[in-house]
Amino acid sequence: MEFWKKIEGLDRRWIYLLVGLSVIIPFIIPASFPVSVTPEAQSLYDTIEALPDSSVVMLVFDYYPSTMAETEPMAVAAARHFFSKDCRVITLSNIPLGGPSMAENVTRRIAEEYGKEYGIDYVNLGYKYGYVSVLKGMGQSIEDIFPTDNSGTLLSQLPIMDSVKNYNDVSFIFEVADNATADYWISIVNAGYGVPIGVGMTAVMAPKFYSFLGSKQIVGLLGGMKGAAEYEILIGHEDAAFRGMDVQSLVHLLIIFLVIVGNIGFFASKKHKRRTSV
Amino acid sequence: MKTTAPVAIAFIAGLIMVVSFFFNEETTFVGGLSQELLNWLIIIGGFTLLLGVVSITRVNWAAVTKKKEGWIYKVFTLLSIFVMAIPAVLPNSWSSLFGRDSGSIYDWLFIYLQAPMMATMFATLAFYIASAAYRAFRARTVEATLLLITATFVMLWRVPMGEAFLNLFPGDIPNFLNTYIMNGVNLAVQRGIIIGAALGAASMSLRIILGIERTYMGRG
Repeated sequence: MEFWKKIEGLDRRWIYLLVGLSVIIPFIIPASFPVSVTPEAQSLYDTIEALPDSSVVMLVFDYYPSTMAETEPMAVAAARHFFSKDCRVITLSNIPLGGPSMAENVTRRIAEEYGKEYGIDYVNLGYKYGYVSVLKGMGQSIEDIFPTDNSGTLLSQLPIMDSVKNYNDVSFIFEVADNATADYWISIVNAGYGVPIGVGMTAVMAPKFYSFLGSKQIVGLLGGMKGAAEYEILIGHEDAAFRGMDVQSLVHLLIIFLVIVGNIGFFASKKHKRRTSV
Repeated sequence: MKTTAPVAIAFIAGLIMVVSFFFNEETTFVGGLSQELLNWLIIIGGFTLLLGVVSITRVNWAAVTKKKEGWIYKVFTLLSIFVMAIPAVLPNSWSSLFGRDSGSIYDWLFIYLQAPMMATMFATLAFYIASAAYRAFRARTVEATLLLITATFVMLWRVPMGEAFLNLFPGDIPNFLNTYIMNGVNLAVQRGIIIGAALGAASMSLRIILGIERTYMGRG
């Protein structure tokens, strides 16, 4: 009984140490278990794959730097997929805290890999206040809402925007988010203008978006780092999310183990208390 | 007048946006007004951001000059705001260090300071979640037990090691979890919550447009 009492009152610093070790060990000894692809990720991939080459697409960076570990691999994988199909990519962000910088860094890096040129193959529109008005306004005219790109260059001077006036000229939108802006892309842009949308969300937000998937308001869904790893496999370029799967596996298993041990301790103490009171 | 004017503005603005969403606005009295209103909203929003900077500066500056408790942290807050903001708003035609492009001061501070700090803060959650799961996630009731079992299976399914473990058992458990838990029970519950929230938002919007709800003016 003493053992379970000790287990129940385990100092939280031991738990922190176990979590720390579970994060570090897989980097030293990788296990590389196979990652299976869910139908939601497959559907997203198939939709993008079916886009005609040179289509105009939007890649939206609606996540904060705090969730970069989960969301950035999705944005990177999507950018790779778009550029490999010679899509013209328009990036923007509804996040004032670093959104345009993340869009700039990711797309510039991936564009270099594929030899794409700024202003011709891709553009970063940056950030504008008020996502509801931004999303609604771009339905009329993108240039009205974003007269310049993130660096202050007039959109009229960028060849990529010559044939792009509003959503009618956009074939697909991929929204990477860690917050409620994804709801507005669905309810305003998909519902109002019929543009197909795929989303990549943090794992904690993903369950909500299954309902939009069921109603076909989104064509696919990537949930958390696992979703990003699935997409990396689909495009044949295993990267950060795939490497992170071992860490996530071990931490998940540790949490499950702790929950089980905690419950055994809880019931053992309860049983002991009942016995002693009788 | 203090009450009538805001209510009238809210009514007209709300009506224009509702009409523009549900009808082809070019064929209605709205014309291009909705786009104009959206532009106004973005401009006014920009000023609110500026107001935020002014407000945070005033509050923190006052605390620093009066040497209130923790004033040194407020010095860092002020420094952080202006060290990031000033080079970012200066035109990059003056120097490549200004503006927000790659290689600018703002970009450097964002990539090497702000982003890692925010990611670190968020990452510490993993430690707290593990500790909280150990102490609080107890099968005290039937509902809690159901939640616990479902969560355990979903957590296993969402990682390769867990999925490999589930595949040791017959019956394609990962597919079952995706079909019946995520695309079944979860979908139904989420849809109920979304519809409920949307109805609430719609009724609140209607109350504001019709002038019934006036708390946004700072009065009950």
